[in-house]
Amino acid sequence: MKILAPLRHSDEVVPLLEAGADEFFCGLTPPDWEARFGHTWANRRAPHSAGVRDDADFDRIIARAEGRPVFVALNAPGYPSGAVEMLASFGDELLSGGAAGLIVADMDLLLALVEAGHGPHLHLSSLATCSNAEAAKFYRDLGIRRIILPRHLTLNEIEAIQIPGLEFETFLLNDGCVFEEGLCATTHAAGAFCTMDGEGDEAVSPETRERYAFWKWTLNHCGCRTGNEYPMGPCGLCAIPRLLRSGIASFKVVGREASLPRKVASVRIAALSLRLARDEARPEEIRQAVIDLRGSPQMCEERHLCYYPDLWERKESIC
Amino acid sequence: MEYGILVHDVAPLPPDPRVVCAASWLDILPPGPLRAIYFGSEFCEFLLPDAVQVARYCKHAQNAGIEAVLLTPVATPGGLVRIKQLLYDLTAAGNAPAVVFNDWGVATLLREFFPALQRRAGRLINRGIRDPRLMEKEPFSGNTGERGKRLRSMLVSFGVSALETDPDLEGGFLGGGGEGMQRVLYLPYAFAASSRNCLIKADSAQRIDACFTKGLGTTCSGICRGESHRINRPDTHLPLWRAGNTVFFEVPQARVENHIGQADRIVLHERPTP
Repeated sequence: MKILAPLRHSDEVVPLLEAGADEFFCGLTPPDWEARFGHTWANRRAPHSAGVRDDADFDRIIARAEGRPVFVALNAPGYPSGAVEMLASFGDELLSGGAAGLIVADMDLLLALVEAGHGPHLHLSSLATCSNAEAAKFYRDLGIRRIILPRHLTLNEIEAIQIPGLEFETFLLNDGCVFEEGLCATTHAAGAFCTMDGEGDEAVSPETRERYAFWKWTLNHCGCRTGNEYPMGPCGLCAIPRLLRSGIASFKVVGREASLPRKVASVRIAALSLRLARDEARPEEIRQAVIDLRGSPQMCEERHLCYYPDLWERKESIC
Repeated sequence: MEYGILVHDVAPLPPDPRVVCAASWLDILPPGPLRAIYFGSEFCEFLLPDAVQVARYCKHAQNAGIEAVLLTPVATPGGLVRIKQLLYDLTAAGNAPAVVFNDWGVATLLREFFPALQRRAGRLINRGIRDPRLMEKEPFSGNTGERGKRLRSMLVSFGVSALETDPDLEGGFLGGGGEGMQRVLYLPYAFAASSRNCLIKADSAQRIDACFTKGLGTTCSGICRGESHRINRPDTHLPLWRAGNTVFFEVPQARVENHIGQADRIVLHERPTP
């Protein structure tokens, strides 16, 4: 039952620990990657805006984390020829250098790391779209440790997917995705494909297009807004009690590329909600505590920001 | 080269499978016989046929002396239950189509409960980039075989008989053919992005709370079945379509030649469907 926080620089470690982070994830690119593979990304986010700068800063992150686990994302959905070998070797170095685990999506890289004996240190990225218990069983049989569930699941589905012998991690806060991330074959390197999706699609009614645009706006932090400095993006804080009961091991705060203040505010509100849930607060009480901090009660009451809106009773509003 | 075609109903099969595509594709598609019909859904569990429909397709294929291939999608827990029931029902009725899996949970089901059904790995097992904006700009890498080697070995060890994909940006996913699996290429459409947050489902919803994230877990009547429509974006010149929960694009022919060189079978889609 941990809060997993995003990192891109060693200076962020201490403030995030103080805010309540229990474990960290970051992205790192092998030093000679660009010379060989050009602008192809080694993980799902841009190396320059979301990645740790270099090995030296990674070493400082490990030192400052004071034993808290630091996981490294090597989670591009696929790689060019020759890249898997380089990344498997890089992953080996990272684990020797203090990384607690590697976050992987590509099956060939996963298999290479399993072959090298790193299964107990592997987290399956949400990009691999493990969305049922039989798929979880498949990955457990490969010997991995944790599955990061995809964003777009209901609470009932999350409960149905969990099987013994694996840790499960869910999305808790920030950065929605319009498409299913693992089933989006486009790359943000060319700009977010989803931004324009639906615009001018005349086969869809204007009312639906408007609702789609509003929903996409909420996924993008209501146009990158904050409420009292807390992020106004997708949020599963009220669902923590139920997710805890179901056995979720880790709650992911998303946003490696975010500013430190946004990261700190996100981790602080997540840690507060987790504390309340551990003290047996009900979802309504957590929601009120979140509204007290973040404001904008309507966004919560109408479930506009919910990662898991099925926590609350459906409303019968006619389209 | 041999061919399969994706079908949406039981209708007469063309003598030359290539006529399924626009005439502009004829020049780059080598001649070859029709060996299979494909049916089902790769992207949406609500579009799966029932056992009676599968039986009709199987009979249609049998009458034509060709293979019947059932496509199955990525599955939620509920979707996996439906797929398992479908496989029970169709095998109980004596039908045994080959099954394309696009989800490791479905692959596990097939191995454990339906080992007699031929298993084929579908295009979503290949998570390579197919971004239409890059497809029209970047040169083809010319990749010819090392990518996905471990995956292919694992599939062979699991008794998988074929590996299927649409053309991706990198190439090389189907390998050199040394593993003994049939290598299958889908043309002329590749998928760009797919989601449970379906715009078409939302457009047919009666309640606001059945749309997008709030609609996860609600069922869908499959109003998009067999339908697609063109969409336009200012950031690519490639023809794009929305079909149900998925955006597709027509792959530039200039990028297809190397992919064809790695394929043993081409499956032609008359129109993009999820």
